[in-house]
Amino acid sequence: MLLYFCQRVAYVVGIVLVVSLLIFSITQIMPGNVAYVILGDFAPLEQIHALEEKLGFNDPWYVQYWRWLSQIARLDFGDSLIMERPIGPILWQAVANSAVLAVISIVLVAVIGIWLGVVSAVRHGKASDHVVSIGTYIVLAVPEFFWCIVLIVVFAGSLQWLPATGYTSMDEGFFVWASHLVLPVVALVMGLVAHVSRLTRSSMLEVMQSPYVVAARARGIPEARVIRGHALPNALLPTITVLAIDIGVLMGGMVVVETIFSYPGLGRLLIFGIQQLDLPLIQAAMMVVAVIYALANLLADVLYAFLNPRIRFGKAAHG
Amino acid sequence: MRHTCSAPGDRDAPISAQPPGREGEILTLDGLSVRYGSGPSSLRALDKVSLSLPRGGALGVVGESGSGKSTLAMTLMGLLAGSARVDGGRAVFEGEDLYALSPAGWAGMRGRRIGLVFQDPFTALNPAKTIAHQLTEPLVLHRGLSETAARAEARRLLDEVGISDPDAMLSAYPHALSGGMKQRALIAAALAGDPDLLILDEPTTALDVTIEAQILDLLEALRAERQLSMIFISHNLGVIARVVDEVCVLYAGQVVETAPKAEIFAAPRHPYTKGLLASMPRLGAPRARLETIPGRLPDLTNPPEGCRFAARCPFAEDRCAAPQPMVSVGPGRESRCWKAVALGATPWTSAETAAPARARTVAADAPPALRADGVSKRFRRAGGVRVRIDRSGAIPVPRIGHSTFNAVDAVSLTVKAGETVGLVGESGCGKSTLARCLIRLIEPDGGAIALNGRDILKGRAADRRTIARTAQFVFQNPDSSLNPRKTVRQILARPLALLGEERPGTMDQRVERLLDMVRLSRAYMDRYPHEMSGGEKQRIGIARVLAAEPKFVICDEAVSALDVSVQASILNLLADLRDELGLAYLFISHDLSVVRHIADRVAVMYRGGIVEVGPASALGTPGHHPYTEALLSAVPSLDSRGAERMRLAGTVSAPGDGITGCRFADRCPRKIGPVCDTQAPPWRTGPEGVRFECHHTADALAG
Repeated sequence: MLLYFCQRVAYVVGIVLVVSLLIFSITQIMPGNVAYVILGDFAPLEQIHALEEKLGFNDPWYVQYWRWLSQIARLDFGDSLIMERPIGPILWQAVANSAVLAVISIVLVAVIGIWLGVVSAVRHGKASDHVVSIGTYIVLAVPEFFWCIVLIVVFAGSLQWLPATGYTSMDEGFFVWASHLVLPVVALVMGLVAHVSRLTRSSMLEVMQSPYVVAARARGIPEARVIRGHALPNALLPTITVLAIDIGVLMGGMVVVETIFSYPGLGRLLIFGIQQLDLPLIQAAMMVVAVIYALANLLADVLYAFLNPRIRFGKAAHG
Repeated sequence: MRHTCSAPGDRDAPISAQPPGREGEILTLDGLSVRYGSGPSSLRALDKVSLSLPRGGALGVVGESGSGKSTLAMTLMGLLAGSARVDGGRAVFEGEDLYALSPAGWAGMRGRRIGLVFQDPFTALNPAKTIAHQLTEPLVLHRGLSETAARAEARRLLDEVGISDPDAMLSAYPHALSGGMKQRALIAAALAGDPDLLILDEPTTALDVTIEAQILDLLEALRAERQLSMIFISHNLGVIARVVDEVCVLYAGQVVETAPKAEIFAAPRHPYTKGLLASMPRLGAPRARLETIPGRLPDLTNPPEGCRFAARCPFAEDRCAAPQPMVSVGPGRESRCWKAVALGATPWTSAETAAPARARTVAADAPPALRADGVSKRFRRAGGVRVRIDRSGAIPVPRIGHSTFNAVDAVSLTVKAGETVGLVGESGCGKSTLARCLIRLIEPDGGAIALNGRDILKGRAADRRTIARTAQFVFQNPDSSLNPRKTVRQILARPLALLGEERPGTMDQRVERLLDMVRLSRAYMDRYPHEMSGGEKQRIGIARVLAAEPKFVICDEAVSALDVSVQASILNLLADLRDELGLAYLFISHDLSVVRHIADRVAVMYRGGIVEVGPASALGTPGHHPYTEALLSAVPSLDSRGAERMRLAGTVSAPGDGITGCRFADRCPRKIGPVCDTQAPPWRTGPEGVRFECHHTADALAG
């Protein structure tokens, strides 16, 4: 188990390093010259050269990469070119806002997705199974920005139940704060719930056919207990892996959803940085996304091992 | 043994309104029918099955695939899958009609009064739960024990089923246990509710023979101690013969014969039972050819009105087209055949017997088709990663080492042209690894291998295609070794194009010739694998091998997945092809009777090494390696009942790693002493030219 854990951590470190190399390479590839961005398009050439020298752009790429990486590792993200302020505080505020959205979403995805999957597997072939199946296909078939617009038009426009966009802090009252979260969360969760419930349904159907489930029934274990105690723990294994992958999908979705709902999170910050060609900001935001994703997968692997004794205790030889 | 079978009478008579649970019977089935699906495609898996089981009795249910025997087990547990339902008749257990029970009534029955043990112990335990959890759950639920009391009771149950270290077992997860231990745990779990009736659905089919023998001993003991009634379902007549008093033969969903065990094996009275018994290879009574049952199961969506076996029966007459009732053929015996009494002891005859059996002699100077010398293969032990500190240098360095084991340990083996060598051994002994090494499907680590006199480990003959032209492999499971998306024509044309010699005729003609060789009609050319039966698929598997015109064929459990009657026809086919084409076989099987039947010589493998080689005919006489002796005595057979049995304790030992003495020392019932653990035993020659590796002399072992 310890060996397994060390292996997983080593994978995460490796992944983060490779991703950091990719992110860094953007500075080398991206159009436009940072010095021009800073000094303006009509700056004299000598000033440009001087600034490039000062920023170290003339060093070989690996020296630049190492300098950048060691900075990032100290959580020093440098200054934003556009806002001319340290990136750190801006970034952490955005991460915190996004985390609120993401944590609520992923918990809802897990709970609702698994529940729907189990229900439709247990009621396989019955009306409720068909309703859930058709619903999930409809949700999956249409991209999420469409659902964002539908939600805004219906709940903010026609019904006027909820604010269309924006964000308020908790200081202005819990309900005001929560009301701003409802629509973005719903938009984020819909597609993923559909995804997770489809997967849980199929793995649950498979497990329900397995001899050990039939054997548990034959021992006279009541059906509810068979589903909860015998089938579900085994059916959840693939779901956990997919939930971790879905965190990546979720972060992608947040870029769209935060932009449409004008929610001041990491996704919107990233879009802002890209539009303004604010390289340090883009790199910092992308690194944070990559690290969060890698850590989420690490968590999933640990959880997977916890539910799967074959990993927890190593595969012993027969004897 | 107690013998209390009531004469069942004619159960095809209209069902009386009175629940028919008779005095002294724990279970009575009265015209029970089960149907899968609905509409025109529905099929009747059980058709008016009537049976009775006296309290404390043991009933064997025999049948091949499609007979409905597993459906019967599920019906009695109330666990029929989705579309299946009981559509007629009754199952009365202790005076209660099971299919009139409320869900609450079933809950009181399942696991508490009727227990079930399944076929495959490898998948019947929940991989995510400890054995303790799976055992205590029914104890807490059914008997209302506290967690601590349930754990103590679970420990006692494990002790009862012969687990030597119950505490370690309780905290173990299923993946850490061997097949035999898993099956013991499952039997313990089935006993947790203290049932009166235990249903065993092929409980030993997935286990090795020595383990199977242990489990059968256990079941016998449990039955005597607990006064359990048992229904023992199996396709294996030998296994059935060990445990039960009464036997019931199922064919196509119908009971075709019921009789006391001793009588049914000695004097079967239904043609199907006769055919089944005649197609079994037997250790004690070798025959040149096996009888077969031609044809296949009738289509159960539209079964014939009359006898369901008539189309395959050599005794069939016009009258067989009328519905057949059960006919009494003696005290406590019935047969669903109007001719049963008239046929009496007339033996089964099949068209196959007409072919004369060739005398088998392999010339002593025949060139070797395969010659293997000291072939070895090491594997990494799963999960055997060890970090050790290397202090040999100036600075200690941590190094990652993998512990390995010898799956195949310096094996030498020769198969002469035209000869069949059987290779037997239990799971994990390395026989399949050896087979794959011999044609370099797995790369051996050491040794020399020559096919047809050419070294295949080096030089030009080492090319994969060259090897494939001389040596071919028939796989165990024809369901998964044929591509489901290709027709027979495509399956056979591919090796012809890739490996076959230039021959006259179009590709279709050459495919036809292959089909002729495996006795299949040309109509099979455009069929897909799912449109064929298991035996037909295996014939295609053999035809594919023949396309390359090999000299040496490895059959790895080639008949193990087939029903007895189909197995017989494939064995006959393999024997014919050997004689016609001069093929040499390495025939790998766990089934000694099959090997005894087809092989000229037999090699016995244990823990990666061959411990005995000798003529197949010598298997019937004493004077063998103690392991061979144990294997022979573990084979459940119809012939050697009451014989003194030699039992092996424990489970099959792990593959060899640094064996200093005898491979078999840790399990050997004839162990001499420390010499067996420390010194490699010498090769001895016994009667009839059997050679084996043992510290005992051949005379001592034969005595």
